[in-house]
Amino acid sequence: MADEMEGLELVSFQIIASVGTARSCYIAAIDAAAEGNFDEADAQIKEGKEAFIQGHDDHAGLLTKMANGEMPPMDLLLTHAEDQLMSAEAFGILADRFVTLYKKVYSK
Amino acid sequence: MKNITLFCAGGMSTGLLVKKMRDEAARLGKEYNINAYGLAESDSYGPQADVILLGPQVRYALPKIKESYPNKPVETIDMRTYGMMDGKTVLATAMKLMGE
Repeated sequence: MADEMEGLELVSFQIIASVGTARSCYIAAIDAAAEGNFDEADAQIKEGKEAFIQGHDDHAGLLTKMANGEMPPMDLLLTHAEDQLMSAEAFGILADRFVTLYKKVYSK
Repeated sequence: MKNITLFCAGGMSTGLLVKKMRDEAARLGKEYNINAYGLAESDSYGPQADVILLGPQVRYALPKIKESYPNKPVETIDMRTYGMMDGKTVLATAMKLMGE
């Protein structure tokens, strides 16, 4: 049980690190687009999506565990990881829209 | 005692990393004040810091924090090191940045 808890803590941390990186990339993309630096904005969106997919895959792994009845009890750290995941997902959608919008503004 | 200050989104998950860093500092026989806070608290805790480390969630704030504290070492913790809760590597980075 102790090993299992440590495993869950580690996966939670990896999700937080991945989707946290994604969220940061998305914010950096919006900042870059606001300055008219679209190469940088596109690169940040790309890096963000790659990091997000990593976190999403780790989370999917936990769902598989749950389906197999191998999931340790839910704790606050995993709740936090899922909260970060949802926040990153929303930022990704918005960053895409913002970069598109800034491209239109700068092309006028 | 020198202050090693970490900022992330809310200061919560980084609290666990801080615990690992404190354990490593104790193992090395070093005494540091190691604390994690949310980025929103950076104005309160940044001025006393001897070194500032940013979690991957707030990496985007690096230019702004560097601008606020031009004379302090400021660095980001990479995604892999953070994800592995590698307190040993993060402490080593902090010590190197402080020239220790």
